[in-house]
Amino acid sequence: MADPGAECENHLQRHLANPFLVLELVPNASRDELERQGAKLLALLAAGVGGAASYSTPLGLRERTSEMVRAALAELRDPARRLLHEWWSRGLAGQLPAAAPRRSPLPE
Amino acid sequence: MHVGIDLGTTNSVLATFDGDTMTVVPNAQGEVLTPSVVRIDGRGSELVGRRAFRFLETDPGNTRGEFKRLMGTEERLRFEASGRSFLPEELSAKVLASLLADAEAVLGYRPAAAVVSTPALFELPQNHATMKAGQLAGLAEVTLIPEPIASAIAAGWRVEAEGVWLVYDLGGGTLDVSLLETRDGWLRVVDHGGDNFLGGKDFDNALTDWAAARLAAETGLPPLSRTNPSHRRPLSKLKAACEQAKIDLSRLERTSIVCAEVFSDPQGNPVDADLPVTRADLEGLVLPLVERSLDVCRSVLEKNRLGPDAVGRVVFVGGPTLMPALRQRVGGLFGGRVAEGIDPMTIVARGAALYAATVGLAARPAAPAAPTGLVVRMEHPAVMADTEPFVVGRFLPERGEELPVRVRIAREDGGFESGDVEVSGEGAFVVQVRLERHRQNRFRLSAWGARGREVELRSPELAIVHGVSIADPPLARSVGVARSDNTVLVYFEKGTPLPARRTAIHKTVQRVPAGSAEDALAIPVIQGEFSRAHLNRLIGSLKIEGGRLKRNLPAGSRVEVTLQLDRSGQLHARADLPEAGESFEDVVHVLVPTASPEVLEKELEATQQRVAEVRRRGFSSGRPALVRTMKGAADLLAEARAGLEAARGGDADAAARVHRLLLDLDGALDQTETELDWPTLESEAGDEIENALSWISAHGTPAEQQLCESALAGVAEARQNRDAAALDREVRVLRSLRHAAFVRDPQSVFLVFDWYQGRAAEATDPRQAQALIEQGRKIAKKGDQAALRQVNRQLDELFPGSAADRRRSFGSGVR
Repeated sequence: MADPGAECENHLQRHLANPFLVLELVPNASRDELERQGAKLLALLAAGVGGAASYSTPLGLRERTSEMVRAALAELRDPARRLLHEWWSRGLAGQLPAAAPRRSPLPE
Repeated sequence: MHVGIDLGTTNSVLATFDGDTMTVVPNAQGEVLTPSVVRIDGRGSELVGRRAFRFLETDPGNTRGEFKRLMGTEERLRFEASGRSFLPEELSAKVLASLLADAEAVLGYRPAAAVVSTPALFELPQNHATMKAGQLAGLAEVTLIPEPIASAIAAGWRVEAEGVWLVYDLGGGTLDVSLLETRDGWLRVVDHGGDNFLGGKDFDNALTDWAAARLAAETGLPPLSRTNPSHRRPLSKLKAACEQAKIDLSRLERTSIVCAEVFSDPQGNPVDADLPVTRADLEGLVLPLVERSLDVCRSVLEKNRLGPDAVGRVVFVGGPTLMPALRQRVGGLFGGRVAEGIDPMTIVARGAALYAATVGLAARPAAPAAPTGLVVRMEHPAVMADTEPFVVGRFLPERGEELPVRVRIAREDGGFESGDVEVSGEGAFVVQVRLERHRQNRFRLSAWGARGREVELRSPELAIVHGVSIADPPLARSVGVARSDNTVLVYFEKGTPLPARRTAIHKTVQRVPAGSAEDALAIPVIQGEFSRAHLNRLIGSLKIEGGRLKRNLPAGSRVEVTLQLDRSGQLHARADLPEAGESFEDVVHVLVPTASPEVLEKELEATQQRVAEVRRRGFSSGRPALVRTMKGAADLLAEARAGLEAARGGDADAAARVHRLLLDLDGALDQTETELDWPTLESEAGDEIENALSWISAHGTPAEQQLCESALAGVAEARQNRDAAALDREVRVLRSLRHAAFVRDPQSVFLVFDWYQGRAAEATDPRQAQALIEQGRKIAKKGDQAALRQVNRQLDELFPGSAADRRRSFGSGVR
């Protein structure tokens, strides 16, 4: 059988890479908001703007890469997969300690 | 300027896109198609393209074509007179270099970056070989794009229509059928299917075999056979004449296959061919192949639960699709909804050039920067469906240069101005701009310092084309790591956009002594959709060798495995051993196997036995669906047997084809076996549901209980559709929920210990397991849960899966 400790850690890592967290969007964000936010984050990362390289999770800041943004966009473009992530996103918000409020480091 | 290249099996094309227009670059002969053919004579002189093609029939020993079919293999192609031999990617590099030289003649500079197209069904080693070909040709930057995406981009980038598209791409050697969707201006690949060994060449072969039979009937001589090495040259001549006749029959009702001195009769007299052939003859010959291609279309549609009516437009790509009967037959399936006015020969290169613009891949080598002005780096999509995209910029001041405090972006036509936007402390800004639809929009950035003075900028212009946005190329098959218990940890699911990167945690299942050359730990990387590792294909294996370790690596050590797939599908693997403080990094590099005819024969025998076994099981279960699969298997076996004969005659291409057919057959047999196993799968699912419900209802959180309900609904749907993969997926969800609920039960630690007690003999070290069990019994009597949990953990490391499982999981050394 798979190692239970490793399995748990891998599950946790997956949940902390929830596309809504990565893109800093609420679960009811529209398709347009999703695309625009994705394109903006990709541009910020490409320009090397410091604040774009991390995002808030219930367990603290995590590194954000352009691969993660692209993967998050692809996941949320698929309606069936999006539903699952919406579910987890709401579940995460309900079950884990609330994220420390963070002032957005991104330029407005 | 952006460059796209269609590196084809038969012909290659280079196109450019200047932000407004796509142009196909002609070669030195003024033709847009450059044959993918290389010739090297006895003096070592090289010819590429049309001039080489002329020697293909008269001097096949020194002229090579169709090497794309062998990309990613170790097959070295020999040029007899010079005694030199090359890998397929080295020959592809010569074709690419020829195209780049043609582009240089037109553009005035040699392109330094380009997008190169590959068939959608190319696997990682084939993509890797294509990248390497680009680099060998002198391209500093190469990006790959699946051919159907390139076609759809070229056909639809200025089309407002939304809906489902089907790209039917029949090249010289491969068929790709892709289902795409345009929604909200976004183009994405929904799914694709294909046949790596069905192409125009098979049409030519069918006509050549027919012509050889007719020639034999007319002359009374034995027919030319592909299994006979001495017939290679005359067959090559006859095939060239057949290709010409096939092209003629695209516009004529009848023509003749004309070829002088095909071969000599036993008396040494030359035998000429002049065989009348009609369009109906050709259609009759290729109809089974066209039907085979339609089966691929139907299968892709069925997989996505769509009917032909759902397809809004069909795009034809590739020379063979010019055949009227094919267009009629395939178009007929979709009610004649065919995209017109598109050149199927150059559409892929055009789309690749457009894609180069979307990923910002400029062909011109970097020019020396202007001497003055503040450097600003601007990031924005080059082509975008959104009419109000963001432009992100960052100033990079040198010592003494002033950082601007505000910026403004204005469109050159005066139709838009952003207003003032503040620059952040690190010199960054984000401006939302507005685009004119379906045209190139040019903008200019202006910046001002703290005292209101305008700051001179080094490159303040930018351009964004409004058109279709393209989703990143998706991964064709899931990629994961095989674990020692024959399960799979999926890193990237099918459809994951590339590039992608993921790190996951594993534990080692065996001790690796430092300095030991014999001991190694394998981390097999596999590709496929099955949850049992051995049913998938091994594409690479990361090896942690004892010889490279500085200290012993005990069993149960933590391994952090990172897999990174670039946009072109090249896979980098890295294993970090945090406890040992060491890292092992490698590019996973697996070749498409090039089996010898002897090995292929053994594989064929094994497959035949497997077919017989599955058939026996099929008969005993009396399942109509299985009878159909068995019929298909028999056809494929017959085709493989015929191919094997040609492989024995020295046709390396035929050997690769047989190998692929056998792999396809294996895949089909896997599915049939899954179908046969359905009652067992259902019964196992029933057991899991019962088990999961009892634990989740007793110890699950409300969220887990809701997820359980959702998984149960999924199980019901999977059962209704008899979808084994979906059932497997939902059962896995239930299993993980059950596990979460189970560990909440205070008694679970004792139950786990009981499980180990009953299986001591199955441990990797039964003596150690027995000692731990003795120790555990004493602790259990005292009811010390924490101590028993520790014992369980130690026991767990001794149960990494059975020896048989480990063998089947490609010898995986991790769990």
